[in-house]
Amino acid sequence: MKPCIDNPAAPARGAARRWLAAAACAFVLCACGGGSSGQGGGQAGGQAGSGAAPPPAAAAAPAPDLSGADSSAALQAHAEGALKGKTIAWVPLAMGLPLTEIWTRVMREEAQARGMRLEVRDPNWNTTAALQALSALIGEKPALIVVHNPNVQLYAKELKRAEEAGIPVIQVNMVSNYKTAAYIGPDWHEVGRLLADEIIHQCGGGSGQSGKVSIVQGEQTSGVSIEQMEGLSAELATDKAIQVVSSQAANWDTTKAHDITATVLQQHPDLCASVGFWSGMEIGAAEAIKSAGKLGQVKVYASGGEGKVDCQNVDNGLLTKVLSYDAPDQAKAVIQVASFILQSGARPDAFRAANYSTLHWMEKGKYDPALCYDWNNQWRDYADSAPGQ
Amino acid sequence: MSSGVRYNGALMSGGIARRLYHRWSLRLFLSELLAKRWMEPAIPFVLMLALIAYFGAVTPNYATWGNARQLGREFAEMGFVVIAMALVVISGGIDLSVGSVFAFANLTALGLFQIGQLPVLPVIAGTLAAGAAVGAVNGVLVGYFKTRPFLTTLVTLIILRAVVDLLSQHYSVQLAMGSNTSALWDFLGGGALLGIPSNLLVLGIVGGVGHVLLSRSRPGWHLTAIGSSRKAARHAGIAVESTLCLTYVASGMLAAAGGLFYAARLSSTGSDTGVGWEVNALTAAVLGGVSLSGGRGTVARAVIGAVIVFVLVNGLVRMGFPGALTSTALGAVLLFAVGVDVKWAKNRVKAIQKIYLNPTVVELPPAPSTARDSGTPFAENDRLRDSEEIGLDQVEGPEDVILDRQDRLYCGTRDGLILRFSGPRFEQREVFARIGGRPLGMAFDRDENLLVCVGGMGLYGVTPQGKVYKATDETNRSWFKLNDDSRLRLADDLDIAPDGKIYFSEATIRYEMHSWHLDGMEGRANGRLICYDPATRRTRTVIKDIVFPNGVCVAHDGQSLLFASTWLCSIFRYWIDGPKKGKIETLIDNLPGYTDNINRASDGCYWLALVGIRSPAFDLAMRNPGFRLRMVKQIPPDEWILPGINNGCVLKFNEKGEVLESLWDPGGRKHATLTSMREHKGWLYLGGLENNRIGRIRLPDADPDWNGFDDYWRKGKA
Repeated sequence: MKPCIDNPAAPARGAARRWLAAAACAFVLCACGGGSSGQGGGQAGGQAGSGAAPPPAAAAAPAPDLSGADSSAALQAHAEGALKGKTIAWVPLAMGLPLTEIWTRVMREEAQARGMRLEVRDPNWNTTAALQALSALIGEKPALIVVHNPNVQLYAKELKRAEEAGIPVIQVNMVSNYKTAAYIGPDWHEVGRLLADEIIHQCGGGSGQSGKVSIVQGEQTSGVSIEQMEGLSAELATDKAIQVVSSQAANWDTTKAHDITATVLQQHPDLCASVGFWSGMEIGAAEAIKSAGKLGQVKVYASGGEGKVDCQNVDNGLLTKVLSYDAPDQAKAVIQVASFILQSGARPDAFRAANYSTLHWMEKGKYDPALCYDWNNQWRDYADSAPGQ
Repeated sequence: MSSGVRYNGALMSGGIARRLYHRWSLRLFLSELLAKRWMEPAIPFVLMLALIAYFGAVTPNYATWGNARQLGREFAEMGFVVIAMALVVISGGIDLSVGSVFAFANLTALGLFQIGQLPVLPVIAGTLAAGAAVGAVNGVLVGYFKTRPFLTTLVTLIILRAVVDLLSQHYSVQLAMGSNTSALWDFLGGGALLGIPSNLLVLGIVGGVGHVLLSRSRPGWHLTAIGSSRKAARHAGIAVESTLCLTYVASGMLAAAGGLFYAARLSSTGSDTGVGWEVNALTAAVLGGVSLSGGRGTVARAVIGAVIVFVLVNGLVRMGFPGALTSTALGAVLLFAVGVDVKWAKNRVKAIQKIYLNPTVVELPPAPSTARDSGTPFAENDRLRDSEEIGLDQVEGPEDVILDRQDRLYCGTRDGLILRFSGPRFEQREVFARIGGRPLGMAFDRDENLLVCVGGMGLYGVTPQGKVYKATDETNRSWFKLNDDSRLRLADDLDIAPDGKIYFSEATIRYEMHSWHLDGMEGRANGRLICYDPATRRTRTVIKDIVFPNGVCVAHDGQSLLFASTWLCSIFRYWIDGPKKGKIETLIDNLPGYTDNINRASDGCYWLALVGIRSPAFDLAMRNPGFRLRMVKQIPPDEWILPGINNGCVLKFNEKGEVLESLWDPGGRKHATLTSMREHKGWLYLGGLENNRIGRIRLPDADPDWNGFDDYWRKGKA
């Protein structure tokens, strides 16, 4: 497993991406206290490599000169002045999912710890309502908005409008075609590539398997799907033995994933692997494979961060391997980055940065228990065993 | 004998409070308000304002110009879809495919623009055409093949959604990453004119035009008629098939317009675009007062409903309600709307009926005696007992009668005909003209055209050849009156001044021909005197607020006009010429009966018909509006105390207002009612609203050569 930045299999990513990653690196170093480098046996991704120095940042207000004996008090006052009483608004795709629930819970706790308030607008999968929520938020002028883009286009104009209205925006996991101050989430190209590597390993040339792969995409126009698909396709294409027999969009819907997979299994009983772009959805595919009595024979791969649910599904064999990320950690990063942005006093469009989440493989009996968070648990034990805290 | 009663029945006794209370009634206002068609969506309208006010109060920065603009921009696309749905629902159908069409149009527009790289105008045309094509499929199936709209459009919804999904699989990533731009495209998506978002502006134009088309044009009425009853519409000669087909086409185009703006605004091809919009649109339409059973609704109402749904959902989202709860709230609202729709539609008319009648005080002094031995000119006698019958059982309800220069006798009938009797004993009956409505008062003009007041229609004329023409059916609408009084409801009697101007009375603007007696229960000044000038073809109201004006007669000198007020039992004189021009005087009041038509007599006097005779009981009832209200509400109509319209008489009075004599038919044996009389060559011809004949008696002392036409138009020329 190579660190993502050095990956030669992703030539499409040009200088811009490299720059983005570099900026993210610098950014992460100062904002996140070193981030959370995974320690578990399944660690797959690494810290973005240090490379070029960040380009001269777009004009930010000159930082206050804090030195001397009372500089700590002054810094404290500066931070408190920038954060206290501020509202961070958050528009997830839908609440009720382990991922969005844990994000929300941790973000709220972290925000409150800094004297901020988290305001959640839940559109419940309804993109019309989601867009309205975002538009309304821009009118309400919170200190910062965190969005979870349903697709790459839907929010694009509104995100631009938010920045024009002076509101910095952080995008989590699902990115928009319009990049804002920060993106926090996995590098989905890398996720796709790593999944493909695993599939090639299991089904590719020399494995003795059929090489048939079924891809269950999410919402096709979602950043998660588009980028994972790009990474996955490019990598799969490197092995001639791999044959993609189906690539359909289940739109994050478990039932749809089930139906698609059931049909694919009828057409291709010798399917080697099914890969889904979200573990919450891929469960449907796994159930279809289980119903067909092919559990174990057909490998099931997914990316996702559904916590306890993922751990259970890996343990009971429904999912062969899950490429996961630490969701509570992501939520902490969101608030840390938000805190940084607000303290910097920079214009909302002053910089573009990414904080790619560390990726972890999960397979039966082999995963970091920190990934098995339980969002329903009232105690903070989801974090107790989290590494690096 | 005048005691100063006024034509509008203004009270002579009591303080100002009492007078005002009886003249201006809140119930009256309310009942007329409710009767307005635009009051049907009153509840949704208030709900809309209340919702906006509520969210404006609880949401920060809500009531700002910027927010209003943003909301308007987001609202417009849904507005199109709701109008699309409403149109079809009004036609008696339903279009479940609007959401799919919306998504299809979105995809089409983006495809043409991003992949096809077409200029914006062809993109617009192509998108609308795509919507129209889907609508045409629905329309042909529903209109021509008479399939059920629900199932048909459900199938279209599913098929089209599948098409959208298939196309999305292939193109959506390409579309999502497309970067074609143009100024016009950006204007569609995010531009504004005079501060109004482009899509909202177009919605406003389309909605305005659609509203007028639907509520005030022939195709719109056809559509509504089909929605009310497809069968009846067909019988009325409406092209049901093509109208329905075009409705679905229009619906498809409107939904496509929504999709087009959505595409330009967001460039998003998310898989849930338009999903569930048909339910939202249906909720909005029903909520706004578009009846699910068809035939009732306007574009404006649909838009009101759309605003409610939009503001509600938007507001709940803003308040941070969990998404599932918002959906539940919307469902609850739909349930509520359907419930109210059913109840309101059923009970609105009843509610109006309950409060429509608004009795007021009519205070008449004790009536002069009509006893045979009373010695008054009103003393009952049998002078009409021996009248000759004309057209016995050949005529129904000759309210007025008139004779022409050739001694032919004309009368109107209940079934809308003008009959003509001729021959030495009027044995020859012919239908002179078919006007329709309820022909009432009549008069000949200088050119021997017969002018007729037709209840329910207006003022009509019949040429000597029997050709019917409309003189007028509307007058100037009075300001500050809820009830639209421009149309003529109950034109009653007319006469023609020497200058050719036609003066006619409209008995009441609150009741129709069939319920005119209810105006009597009310006793309110609901009538008016109107003048139509054939020279300028203009109609204007001369005197407003008269208590049931009835008979109209131009005085012998042509300088004034006599008009009767039925419930006030009085005759008034209105000066149309000379030094007193414009003044109104009371000529006779406190007659023993209810005054009807007035006509000239050969000796310079006037004949007056009393359609009923007063009774102390009814006089008392007229002093007590509360009593009449309770009576009307609590007991069936056949037990009401009503003015006695069955025992009238004919009076003769002179220019000074002195009653000279009376002619009676006690018990109404020959003439069930007496509403008119006409002197002609020594005879007096008698008509009655409910009679089955025309009667005539000889007037021994009258000028045997005098006739009305010559008296009016050949005076001094013969």
